[in-house]
Order: sequence, then structure tokens, then C-alpha cells
Amino acid sequence: MSISTQGGPERRPSVVKPAAGAKPNSPGDGKPSRPGSGKGKGPRKPVTPVKVAQQRSWGPILLFVAVGVLAVGIIGYGAFAVIKGSESWEDRAAGIDGITNYRETDPGMLTANHKSGPQTYKTTPPVGGDHNTAWQNCMGDVYDAPIANEHAVHSMEHGAVWVTYKTGLPQDQIDKLAEKVRGNEFMLMSPVDGLSNNISLQAWGYQLKLDSADDDRIDSFIRALRINATQEPNAGCSSGVTATGTTPRDIGNGMQQGS
Amino acid sequence: MSAATTSSAPSTDGSEEVAPRRHLGTLWIALAIVVGLALGYTAGLLTPAVTAPGDDSVEAGFVRDMSTHHAQAVEMAMIMHTKAQDEQVASLAADIAITQQGQIGTMSAWLRDWNLNPTGSQPRMAWMPNSQGSLTNGLMPGMATPEQLTQLREATGVEAEKLFLDLMLTHHLGGIHMAEEVVDLSDDKDIDWLAGTMVASQQREIQAIQTIKSELPAN
Repeated sequence: MSISTQGGPERRPSVVKPAAGAKPNSPGDGKPSRPGSGKGKGPRKPVTPVKVAQQRSWGPILLFVAVGVLAVGIIGYGAFAVIKGSESWEDRAAGIDGITNYRETDPGMLTANHKSGPQTYKTTPPVGGDHNTAWQNCMGDVYDAPIANEHAVHSMEHGAVWVTYKTGLPQDQIDKLAEKVRGNEFMLMSPVDGLSNNISLQAWGYQLKLDSADDDRIDSFIRALRINATQEPNAGCSSGVTATGTTPRDIGNGMQQGS
Repeated sequence: MSAATTSSAPSTDGSEEVAPRRHLGTLWIALAIVVGLALGYTAGLLTPAVTAPGDDSVEAGFVRDMSTHHAQAVEMAMIMHTKAQDEQVASLAADIAITQQGQIGTMSAWLRDWNLNPTGSQPRMAWMPNSQGSLTNGLMPGMATPEQLTQLREATGVEAEKLFLDLMLTHHLGGIHMAEEVVDLSDDKDIDWLAGTMVASQQREIQAIQTIKSELPAN
């Protein structure tokens, strides 16, 4: 009983609080039962909402931020990896210092018709153009004398990298070059008389002139262009001409369609 | 009036209490979905790149080296095919050339699928443990030397056929050795399948080579 009576007066002051907020209502409220019931709801509800509104649940927010940062990081790395991983051989070829890309600068000279007899080429050594029906064998063949351009161009059409060096290059330099060629199909090597530089590397449409067999751009050139530069994917390098000599060897007309 | 106001008071309280939380909650859920999708998409993008054999992997090394090894078998078989007089030798040469060139095509397609180049950064045979010394002048086990190839080109008749069979037998033994190694080293089911068939079919061809050789006339 005493508790209930105590509760009664205690409620009264609390009535004042909502009354202040609800001033316009107070004059209208004549019956005590109504405000009492209204007050009963009033104090409970304001208290709870205020507390909840002020509380920020930092745990989940931090978690989301952390996950977000992680996600952005992974996506960023993923994009980086995909872009880097998908760097094409063309891009890597373009990144080789001093390389000439005739596919861009002079695509008109890179015709690929089969023609008998000697052909003229714009560059020395040639990097493409009309060529003989027969290709020079490019199974890692190291030729010790000049070969016919007309056959070598056909080899490059098949995807070979043609390593040439100036006739008379010191033997140790020749040996270093040969080491990169021998045993590797889609590679061939031969001397060229009166070459402008000590070494010249060719693939279809590409050329790189160098002075030393120790230059690490040689490996870069081979890695970027060997097979990749092909004009006829999956064409072979065997069954070609294995003889040296700069005069092209014409095959019978029956072979004209083969390449 | 009074009823309306009393009812409105709790409702405003309720809206302040519940509605913002709902908005926030929806936002977080939306963000979580976006982040989840982005993560999933990225994982999907990266998975092939991560799971595909790398540039210096056993698989890439084998595929590149076996392609080169095969290419020489094709070369020898084509040399022989043009001049074989014995029908069995001509047939064997054609079989070897066509089969191995086809397998080169399969292997080079894998390299493309793996986003790898035909030429790797690793030396020949580096994928095989204890492979030091297995290269002779850049040639892998069983491969014929340039001199032997010249001999084969210049030889004629039964002499050429016997030389071809001898060179091919040695070539197959080297190839089988490499293929057996990769079956041990790799768990890639495509690699294991192709290398497994190489081992089996080249062993059968070795038996055929020995049979044909015994039936060739003495020169």
C-alpha cells in the first residue's frame, strides 16, 4: 500500500515533464485517468528511444569499414594483376629499347606472296615481304654461311626469330648467339655480309640492331617474338631448306600452294 | 484533438526510434551486398590466373620442352617419310609426324589458355629435378645432334631407314623419361593424361621399331 501511495506522488512530478512537452494538451485534459495512462506510456518510450538513438554500434561499423578496405585492396590488386598478367607480347616487344616495329611504321612492305627468284627488300636484313615457297629450316639451325633472304623471310612468316650477325664477328660472340639458338625450333641464325651492326634480330615485322651478344635485349626479343610473331599459327620449321647460299632455291610448281 | 495528439506523439517517437535504424540497416545490407559481389567477381577473375600453371611451373616447363622435343621427332619423321622405301617405315614416319605435331598443337593451346608465352624464362629442363647435365649442346635427352640429322638427310635406302629407326628409338626413350617425370611431378589432370598417353604409345612404338628393324634386309 505504502509503495503504491509513494508511487503515486512520484509519478506526479514525472507528469510535469511530458506536460512541458505537451503544453497545448494539458488544458484539454480534465480527467486524471487519461493523463495518467498517457504518462505511463510517456516516460517509458522517450527513455528507450533516446538511449538507442545515441548509441552507435561501432563494432559492426568497424567491421564493415575493415571489410570495405580489404575489398578495395583485393579489387585493386586484382585489377593490377589482371592488367599486368594480360600484357600482350606486342606490349612487351614495344618495351624493348631500340626495337623497330615495321608493322606500325611500314605495314605496306609486309606482303606475303610466294614468288620465285630473288626479291628486293626495304630493310637489311628483311623483316617480311614476298618470299620463296620454301622456307629455311628453322629448327634451331645455326648456319655458318649467309642464307637466302627469300627463304628466311618465309621462316619468319612461320613464327621464327632470325638471328643475324656481321660476317667476321669474333667467334666467342658467335658462340654466345648460337647458344641461344641451337636446340630451339622457331630459331635460326646466319651471318650477313656487310651488316650495319654486329648483330641484328628479326621476326616478322620487327627488327632490333645490337652491338654485343651479351646484350640482354636478345633474350627479351626472343621471349616476346619467338612463335608469337607468326603469320601462320602452328606452321612448322622443319622440312625447310638446310643449305646455305644467298640464291633462293625454287621448288617445283607442285609446292607453290604449300607454305 | 487530444486523441490525435497523443497518438501522434508515440508515432513520432517511434519513427525517430525505428525508421533511422531501418534506413541505416538497409544501407549496410546494400553495401554488404555490393562488397560481397565485388569480392566474388574479383575472386572469379583471379581464380583462373591463380590456379593456372605459372611461367616457371613444372607444367609450363614440360609443355614447352616437350613441344621442342616433339618438333624434332616431326622433323626426322618428315625427312624419312619423303624417302622411305619400306612401307612400314613410311607408315611409322607418317604416324609419328602427325601424332606429335598434333600434340604440339594441344600443348601450345594450353600455354595460350594459361596466358603464357611459348618461350619461358627458365632454362630447358629446369622443371625436372636433378636435370643438370641432361642437356647436351642445348639438346634434351634423346634428341639427335645436328650432325646426326645431316647424316639422316644424306643417307639413302635401308641405311637411312635403319638410322631413322635408331634415332627415333633413342628419341622416344628420352621423351618417355620426360613424360614419366611430369606424371610424377604434376597433379594437372590434362598434363597427366597427355603425358600418360605419350609414355604408353611411345613404348608401343619402340616395340614396333624393334620389330621393323629386325625385318629390314641387311645392307
